[in-house]
Amino acid sequence: MDFLTILKSFVDTMGATVLLPVFIFIFALILGAKAGRAFRAAVTIGVAFIGINLVIGLMWGALSGVSQALVTNVGIERDIIDVGWPAAAAVAFATDVGLWVIPVGLIVNFALLIPGVTKTLNVDIWNFWHYALIGSLVTYASGSLPMGLAAAAVAAAFMLFLGDWTAKGIQEFYDLPGISIPHGMTAPMVPLALPFNWLFDRIPGLRDVDADPDGIEKSLGSTFGDPMVMGLVIGLILGLIAYFGEFAGAFIPTLGKIIVLGFELAAVMVLLPRMVRILMEGLIPVSEAARDFMSKRASDREVYIGLDSAVLVGHPSAISTGLLLVPIAILLSIILPGNRMLLFADLAVLPFLCAQIAPMAKGNIVRMVFVGTILLIFGFYFANALAPAITAIAGGAGFAIPENAVLISSIADGFVWSPLAFMLLGKYLGWIGIGLFAILTAALFYFYKKNEAAWDKLAGASGE
Amino acid sequence: MAKTVIVSCGTGIATSTVAAIAIEEACKEAGIDVVTKQCKGQEIPELLKQGADLIVTTSVMRFDPGIPVVKGLAFLTGVGKDAIVQEILDHLRE
Repeated sequence: MDFLTILKSFVDTMGATVLLPVFIFIFALILGAKAGRAFRAAVTIGVAFIGINLVIGLMWGALSGVSQALVTNVGIERDIIDVGWPAAAAVAFATDVGLWVIPVGLIVNFALLIPGVTKTLNVDIWNFWHYALIGSLVTYASGSLPMGLAAAAVAAAFMLFLGDWTAKGIQEFYDLPGISIPHGMTAPMVPLALPFNWLFDRIPGLRDVDADPDGIEKSLGSTFGDPMVMGLVIGLILGLIAYFGEFAGAFIPTLGKIIVLGFELAAVMVLLPRMVRILMEGLIPVSEAARDFMSKRASDREVYIGLDSAVLVGHPSAISTGLLLVPIAILLSIILPGNRMLLFADLAVLPFLCAQIAPMAKGNIVRMVFVGTILLIFGFYFANALAPAITAIAGGAGFAIPENAVLISSIADGFVWSPLAFMLLGKYLGWIGIGLFAILTAALFYFYKKNEAAWDKLAGASGE
Repeated sequence: MAKTVIVSCGTGIATSTVAAIAIEEACKEAGIDVVTKQCKGQEIPELLKQGADLIVTTSVMRFDPGIPVVKGLAFLTGVGKDAIVQEILDHLRE
């Protein structure tokens, strides 16, 4: 065996738990982080992956049982489990594209920032996982790692465009001067929402209605606002539906099974974000080093700092819209023809869905719920279509997926059009498809530069 | 006795982790004993009942909590980070 073969089999045995930490350690050093801090961070990332895998195992066990019972006892086929963004992010970073996504994302940002194509300096390294997901889906569909990396690079550029375009509206509406949101889940919602927001403007009567955010938060916040309680309630309701037929003859064991399910799902809702927090802690040194590295080299013309849309979702309209969308999303998951997805972990991120379209909707909750519902309907079909691919890349990245088990998907980013669009372009057109998306992105930058004020207004800026 | 800092953001996971770790590191360096509690904006009233000395938030603060509030956005952007670290340390030394 030659050296490369040995290296490859060594690397294959270790998987993401060890590989990503090694890469992160090296990147952090290159970007100028101290060795001790970089080392600790790298090990933290490995620990986080093990933690996430444990919790996913718990969720899987609980929900695949429900999924099977729904088919056998009730005759409803919901065999795609919503594992949530924490799992999706971990999967994305653990893929082959994910290993390289941080340098790829930084290089793209630099290459576009220095000549002034983009105004956004994206310091939100954590959310590079969205680009990694897109890239790994393209690699899965095409079998080519270089094509996946190219797709991740194009996706990074595209999100920078969306960040630039929506920045003025975001800055005004959320009072965040100098900030843009090049976020892979919330930013692509803006172009998709645009026609429906326009349509809403044309509906007499309805276009003038608004709702009171504080009232909504008070009445719904205690159930849907707390992920732990939401996990418990969803577990109990799902359990009742799935296992109702087993009550006859085995009342106490069935009741016990349902209550245990409620607690298991409450545990997932609490534990999964905690595990992701560990992953984020591990990424902080590399993300800080990257931020300092980039800030030092960025010129002194007007630069927006690109941040996570988490800085938006504290806003009352985003929270209220998210709360109202929880029951709507659950209802849609039941009634939409052909849907196989069982919503769960990502019900907690519904405030993100409309966060970036709030400036366009002027913060009007009725309108955001209207547009959000349409985004959800599209989203279900995107997520259903993506499920086999997401399941395959999760397995390929070393996550414990049982044989012949249910499929996985998520709202972030399964409900977003961009991962599916990239994957289909990569699958059917190959390099030409990725090239087309690159040309589209370049054209958008070009036309945006030609008339920034009009574009800004379209995304919700006042135009003053 | 350790000072308690509530660190809030939109999710209680993402950006508040960045702020909380920066606060812990700065306090360790300054020799201040500190405990950080991360949460979402809506959970602040609940945590206030358990007692806290300072709130650092990366999202919007929507009511007057009766204790000092520091805007933590600079922890994310890196712009003006030293100034808010100083502001936080000053509050905690009082």
